[in-house]
Amino acid sequence: MSVLSEEVPFAGDAIVRPPRDGFVRQVRSRLFATKGDTALTLVLAAVIVAFGTFALDWLVIGAAAPWGSAQDCAAARGACWPFVVEKHRLILFGTYPYEEQWRPFLASVLLVGGVGASMLPSFHNRRLLWLWGAASIGFYVLMAGGYLGLESVQPERWNGLPILLMLAIFGLVFAYPLGIGLALARHQSQLPAIRAFAVLYIEIVRGVPMIMVLFLGLFVLPLMMPEGVSLSPLLTTMIALVFFHSAYFAEAVRGGLQAVPDGQFEAANSQGLTYVQKVRLIVLPQALSKSMPEVMNTVLGAYKDTSLVVIIGIHDIMATAKMAFSDPGWQHYGLEAYLLVGVWYLITCWCLSSYSRWLERRTS
Amino acid sequence: MRKLTKASVFWQAAFLLLLVGGGVAAVQNIEANLARSGISVSFGFLGSQAGFDINESAIAVSSTSSYARVLLAGMINTLILSLVCIAGATAIGVIMGVLRASNHYLGVRVAGLYIEVMRNLPKLLILLALFLFAINTLPSVRQSWGLFDTVFVSNRAIYLPAILPGSGMRLLTAAFVVWLVSIAVLGRFSRRVQDRSGVRYPVIWPVTAFILAVVLVSGLFGWVDFPVSYPELKGFDFRGGHRISIQFLVLALALSLYHGGQVAELVRGAIQAVPAGQFEAARASGLGFLQTMRLVVLPQAVRIIVPPMGNQYLNITKNTSIALAVGYSDLVSVMTTSINQTFRPIELMSLTMCVYLAICLAVSLAVNLYNARVSGGGIAR
Repeated sequence: MSVLSEEVPFAGDAIVRPPRDGFVRQVRSRLFATKGDTALTLVLAAVIVAFGTFALDWLVIGAAAPWGSAQDCAAARGACWPFVVEKHRLILFGTYPYEEQWRPFLASVLLVGGVGASMLPSFHNRRLLWLWGAASIGFYVLMAGGYLGLESVQPERWNGLPILLMLAIFGLVFAYPLGIGLALARHQSQLPAIRAFAVLYIEIVRGVPMIMVLFLGLFVLPLMMPEGVSLSPLLTTMIALVFFHSAYFAEAVRGGLQAVPDGQFEAANSQGLTYVQKVRLIVLPQALSKSMPEVMNTVLGAYKDTSLVVIIGIHDIMATAKMAFSDPGWQHYGLEAYLLVGVWYLITCWCLSSYSRWLERRTS
Repeated sequence: MRKLTKASVFWQAAFLLLLVGGGVAAVQNIEANLARSGISVSFGFLGSQAGFDINESAIAVSSTSSYARVLLAGMINTLILSLVCIAGATAIGVIMGVLRASNHYLGVRVAGLYIEVMRNLPKLLILLALFLFAINTLPSVRQSWGLFDTVFVSNRAIYLPAILPGSGMRLLTAAFVVWLVSIAVLGRFSRRVQDRSGVRYPVIWPVTAFILAVVLVSGLFGWVDFPVSYPELKGFDFRGGHRISIQFLVLALALSLYHGGQVAELVRGAIQAVPAGQFEAARASGLGFLQTMRLVVLPQAVRIIVPPMGNQYLNITKNTSIALAVGYSDLVSVMTTSINQTFRPIELMSLTMCVYLAICLAVSLAVNLYNARVSGGGIAR
């Protein structure tokens, strides 16, 4: 019997936890530890209670129930949910022919589904091209009609959600490759003239407000066209958005390019790769994954800023919300309409930013 | 090392040819298109009468003013709005950012919710919703809420008493200039003394107290007069006093809230980037919380935050252009009105873009100068 064989209690085996604090003590240590903490807690609690009671009263207690009528709204002191029930189709699809509104609905689902699929890592290859080729054709056929026995609908009557999605998504889809090209043009020394152009372009576009670029598309782009060529406002807006966002993408991607070690460039050169091979096989895969957080930030900002097209008279979801409460019978319920739009943006932006956080965790 | 190979010369020549060719074609098309409407590109129209009034401006503008003057008023409005929004966003952002970085249970969550909501909503939506709320909630001009019969709030504007030019106004201006100069000069002097002897002399509080005392005493004893104009309801609107339109107020609030969320994230990041050891060491050497913040943590956080903050201020300046959506006469909205009247988009848009680019250049120059100052010297490397 040796002494060594006996079980010696080792401090590391059993994790010793301090006793858990009771509820009262937890509250005290978290909220009322010092005088400053107490003051802050009281101020914040007052703000939360005031805001919370107001929101609860406006949204639920004082609101007219969704199945009510316009008369109920006039009597209610809070929100008018019957307005949302009555006008939700107008807010979503605007003046698209009422009978045909399943088409913009399907078109929106197609685009949202396309974005969802593009987020899957298994789509991060050539399949993405096929996906968006098919999605854009499907979107156009559904919205414009004229094929497959669908009634033809003029672009002037496309508005609401599909327009927002179309401008945001296709604007970004075209701007991203252009931005990569600009970033590559800026991040090289072989072609100084092209580099100078890229620098000038990126800095000028980033130095002016987005609305200025939209107005350039509205006023100046049509003037640049030869006689007889006319561009629809939707098309000029799309072109302006692509040019605008590409400069921001270029800056985001340039950050990634700068983070690729010089040795990678040199190694690629010494292997005898051509420029295109070097960029496609060595540089871009690393630069793009490094710049992903910044690119996702740009995407989020660009998506939110697409709403500015309202100012130049494109009818996106914010404009159709305004249409809805311009109806004489429902004039006082603008906040409800904007709340609906706000909820849409909150949900979609939250999905985008959660995805970007997930992507960051996955790559790091 | 750069080698001019045949390929690089070829590609650049091809690119330049394409660019110049496209440019020439575009310019020719523009000239042809404008000629059809009977106009040619020239800036001569800037001197002619604009014929539209803008609702509020810092310089005198009437419907007989020239386009140049109206555009200048728009530019000044853009700058004023930007400065107010920058101040507002910084104040909100610092408070929310410090709360987010604190360890206060409620504070972290409230600031987190605020930042998240502002990050996920478009600024235009915030602006339009607030504008609608203000218009619906506030009373009409005739039923304005009055405060002691001096301040009036309506859904068109806020009316404040205004100090008219006089000896009091001159004194206030002089006091402000003296305050700025003496803080700068004495501050530098005090820092030199501290570097030599280690003794810290306070500067800001004594100077402020002294100048306030001078102003108050001369006001109370009636050595200077403060002619004040109070707003009075006459007919359909107020006369006299100072008028701040509801459009301006809502714009300032909306942009401050929106950018406050982004500034808060920057502030949080900068505070968390200062090593915790710095804070603990400062506290261990006997500095209080505020002293620790002011002398140890914030000077280090500021170095990290200045470049992104400069960028943020530029974004605020550019984003004031959403003023168009509520009808405040900023530079872009004056520009669009002028374009609609004269149909001279080329001249007006190039002018406006030059103004924005100049502001952008000035701010990035200032940030670069500041960066050179704070990153050079100080730490031995």
